Amino acid sequence: MRSISSGFSILGAAVIWVALLGPVITLIGRMSPGDLWAALTGPGNLDPLLTSVESGAVTLGVLICVCTPLAWMLARDRLPFPRVWEAGILCALLLPPLVIGLLLVFMVGPYTWIGTILDWLHQSATNTFLALVIAEVYESAPYYVLGAQAAFASVDTSLEQQAGLLGDRPSRVFRRITLPLAAPGLAMSLAVAWARAIGAFGAVVIIAYHPFGIPMQIFTTLQETGLYTALPFALVLLVVALPLPLAAYVWSARAERRRRG
Amino acid sequence: MLNVDAEADRRDFTVRAALDVADGERVALFGPSGAGKTTVLEVIAGLVAPARGRVELGGRLLTSTAAPAVAVPPWLRRVGLLRQDPGLFPHLSVRANLTYARSSSGGRSGSGRGRSGSGGAELAEIASSLGIDGLLAAMPARLSGGQRHRVALGRLLLAHCDALLFDEPFASLDAALRRSLTALVKDLSSQRSVPSVLVTHQLSDAQAFADRLLVMDRGAILQAGAPDEVVLRPTSRRVAELVGYLGFVPVTGSGAAGSGATGPGAAGSGAAGSGLVVGVHPDRVVPGADPARGLVVTGTVTAARPSGAGWEADVLVGDAPFTCRLPSRPAGPELSVTVLDPPYFGQDGAMLAPGGSAPITRG
Repeated sequence: MRSISSGFSILGAAVIWVALLGPVITLIGRMSPGDLWAALTGPGNLDPLLTSVESGAVTLGVLICVCTPLAWMLARDRLPFPRVWEAGILCALLLPPLVIGLLLVFMVGPYTWIGTILDWLHQSATNTFLALVIAEVYESAPYYVLGAQAAFASVDTSLEQQAGLLGDRPSRVFRRITLPLAAPGLAMSLAVAWARAIGAFGAVVIIAYHPFGIPMQIFTTLQETGLYTALPFALVLLVVALPLPLAAYVWSARAERRRRG
Repeated sequence: MLNVDAEADRRDFTVRAALDVADGERVALFGPSGAGKTTVLEVIAGLVAPARGRVELGGRLLTSTAAPAVAVPPWLRRVGLLRQDPGLFPHLSVRANLTYARSSSGGRSGSGRGRSGSGGAELAEIASSLGIDGLLAAMPARLSGGQRHRVALGRLLLAHCDALLFDEPFASLDAALRRSLTALVKDLSSQRSVPSVLVTHQLSDAQAFADRLLVMDRGAILQAGAPDEVVLRPTSRRVAELVGYLGFVPVTGSGAAGSGATGPGAAGSGAAGSGLVVGVHPDRVVPGADPARGLVVTGTVTAARPSGAGWEADVLVGDAPFTCRLPSRPAGPELSVTVLDPPYFGQDGAMLAPGGSAPITRG
């Protein structure tokens, strides 16, 4: 009886899994190896891929350096009126990416005071690599902050307290206890943020039409030559974006197994 | 030597702690849940800042609210705290947990006293004495409750703290394991020659561990003394209630126990006017009337039930109930028992000196 019930559970899960994978299956089914080869070997066709990977990596660096401390402070109630801070993060999450892009024009565009400062520094936050990173940061940061906050909150504060009583300063407690225990959750949050960053489109199309990343390449190819020629780039995006989240999953599972001994 | 004289404000009351614990001395803070016992430990460990007062350990001033204020952070105090949750680091092996303090930023391993031999030899020695030497490579998740507590205890000992604090460390374990671990903690605390403080609401644990018992209620230390003295001579009715007296029977006068002249069996209505009551501890009762050994009490059995190897009976004397433990089931509804050397309490709840009427001052 139990095995029948277990079999139905697996079948149900498989149906849901296949349904979720529907677009990917369709993508693979609609494309021949020749299409993929032609797309990848065209002159300059790999440049958007490189741009996306570079901007995604810089975005992750910014998130780790800037948003990790914020997430820790939120998790440990180190900020006054914590609900206000959390509401702010949620607002950033709830705004449609396209709207974020429009608002970024008003915030960091060339005719704003930030834009003026950037101009003095011979930089620009529109249609540059910097603009692409800014757009990706704004699209992915809320996901990372909320995930990292949950990861830090899952670490039992009594363990940190115990480490302190055993002689560790707070910075060492963070390195030896907090970070290793929150790491699987942080890795997953980073994987989600990576997926959001490398696939960012809404804000990007407004303030960073150039330089082309992969999402923009898909969009322009679709407009110029049609759906079939755009699809190979979607597959490339998938193949390039997948390893990091996959590695995060595998690493988290291993860390959990190790803890269970 | 640990010297604490501090007050910490809680939402419902202020915790006032004044205790001196000598090196090698074991003190138990005993009281009901929510009495403020843990707060005292947290003040000593530096986890709670007191509103007023000072904490000194081995001549080092750890906390002082008087100018210039001093607040040594927990990681520099060299105070070990073992709680009910052993708090093992789940991502580290047993060995790494045990040696955690050695690589701490406070340089704990070299600064403690009583250190013997090299690090590896000491680890092996403590692991062996705790019976966890075969578990060094295991992860905490694979350990039983008792093993986790042993590892946490080993970690505390290897940290070479200048004071050991135990906050109901074994409350979640079964009685037999609790007894054996309490005995182990007692031995190891003595070997270390550092002040040790145990917080517990289990009187048996406190008695098994401590040289000195402090009874605490609603933030105040009501009585301090040798464990048997506190139980046999509670200075107030409240202390008596806390240490297990399950009945207070009115007596007709302040006659000393043993006189048999003021047996509450004859009291009841007549006793109410004097306001004098005698505390009945269920374990300090023998069946039958034996005025030579104590105070004879006669009452009506309202309930009886098996308890351990004997019986427990609820008895009513006038309007006053008490509970006693007997070797066998009461034969009938009328029961005469002799309460051995019981404490007497006046109207104000203070204990009266045996054979006299002078109240014993609270201490």
